[in-house]
Amino acid sequence: MNDMSKDKNIDIQIYNFAYLDENTKRMIRRALLKALCIPGYQVPFSSREMPMPYGWGTGGIQVTSACLIPKDVLKVIDQGADDTTNAVSIRKFFQKTANVAVTEKTSDASLIQTRHRIPETKLKEQQILVYQVPIPEPLRFLEPRETETRKMHALSEYGLMFVKLYEDIAKHGHIETAYAYPVKTNGNYVTDPSPIPKFDNPKMNNNPAIQLFGAGREQRIYAIPPYTNVKSLDFEDYPFEAMKANFKCSICGSSDSYLDEIIVSDDGKRSYICSDTDYCKEQTQLNSKEEDQ
Amino acid sequence: MENNYPFSEESINSSISFRSLVNATSYPGRHFQISKLKKPNILSNAAATILITLCDNESNVYLSKDFSTDEVKDWLIFNTGAIVSDKQNADFAVGDWESLLPLDEFKTGVPEYPERSTTLIIEESNYKKIKCNINGPGIKDKLQIELPNPELFINNSHLYPLGLDFYFTNDLDILSIPRSTKISVTNSEY
Repeated sequence: MNDMSKDKNIDIQIYNFAYLDENTKRMIRRALLKALCIPGYQVPFSSREMPMPYGWGTGGIQVTSACLIPKDVLKVIDQGADDTTNAVSIRKFFQKTANVAVTEKTSDASLIQTRHRIPETKLKEQQILVYQVPIPEPLRFLEPRETETRKMHALSEYGLMFVKLYEDIAKHGHIETAYAYPVKTNGNYVTDPSPIPKFDNPKMNNNPAIQLFGAGREQRIYAIPPYTNVKSLDFEDYPFEAMKANFKCSICGSSDSYLDEIIVSDDGKRSYICSDTDYCKEQTQLNSKEEDQ
Repeated sequence: MENNYPFSEESINSSISFRSLVNATSYPGRHFQISKLKKPNILSNAAATILITLCDNESNVYLSKDFSTDEVKDWLIFNTGAIVSDKQNADFAVGDWESLLPLDEFKTGVPEYPERSTTLIIEESNYKKIKCNINGPGIKDKLQIELPNPELFINNSHLYPLGLDFYFTNDLDILSIPRSTKISVTNSEY
């Protein structure tokens, strides 16, 4: 306790551990456990107002708050990066309210909150990955009425989703959906993987880690337990294809990680870099070690 | 001064307990450990932990005959505000295996809201255990465990995505069988 600054001691007295009060946590925790029992099903919960605007991860932060324990090592990423505004603020938020250790290394983290990416480094058993979800309902843009989409899930009536994918093929010659690509979880519910690139979809399948999803504004929690079958929707003649920009990272040279396109000059010259900053750092270190030898 | 609350430090103990529950629910058929707490003697630490961590004044709790004592009721109501209810309305049910039967009186959810179902907390007792293979979400390949009346669990998994979710509790030990787990009996004589 000696190395804790005076300010931190005060913060811990002001806030309940990890910010949310115990009653709220109980409600979220019941929803989370039912979500794990029914993979891919969206459990309604009474989402709280958080000290940040909707769309900045209010759902993810409530799930993290309900799951966090004092000995956790927390990692927060936004589009794969540890050093973007959203990631930095959420990380600081939990340092302040829960006094947990933080890391940028995927393999050292026990709980990872993410916006729009799954880390490149393989996840392990009992690691928790918390997704921030804007629109949890994969059918929402096809059917705006909640009463109807709820019935469609109850009846496993997903024809409309296949029509949408088919229309993509009819119009563009291939399935145009590149992110938030719908999946079927445990052979039953069609689920929104949150706006991750479809490059990441295969990582959800049979993952040893626990995947939890929180949508604050839409008040839904859902989960994909470890070792669960997660299949991206497709057609026999148009099978699902995970894709990425066909370049190498201009920092670490990796050709198998997901790349961000950046404009580097006024005349529109492009460059590609890993979206996962931790993975990129690791690869760069590996490369320099090899050069040393 | 030492308090009489179940958890010595509520927000810390409840978070650690819940994390064990997340792990147990995520990896069905595996044993996870929870810590001791202050509770009535008849309840195991694990069962008491589930109730204290999850129940509040919106939770209906069914206590089967041996567990429906004034001590348990007072403890539960004082510490959680939960409502002691009948089988049909129960969100949580606590008891030994035989006293919770028949299972079909518990709610299994409705197609639009499959989560509106009972979570059963089964205390260790001398029930007849039969070797079963389990697989499904949370289980790498398959596991072998022992269950009472496997046919009831098989029926339950046929209701999926509706159904009951089970926690087996024994002192500090907790093991979960959610509705998503598929069960098959290994012994052909059964």
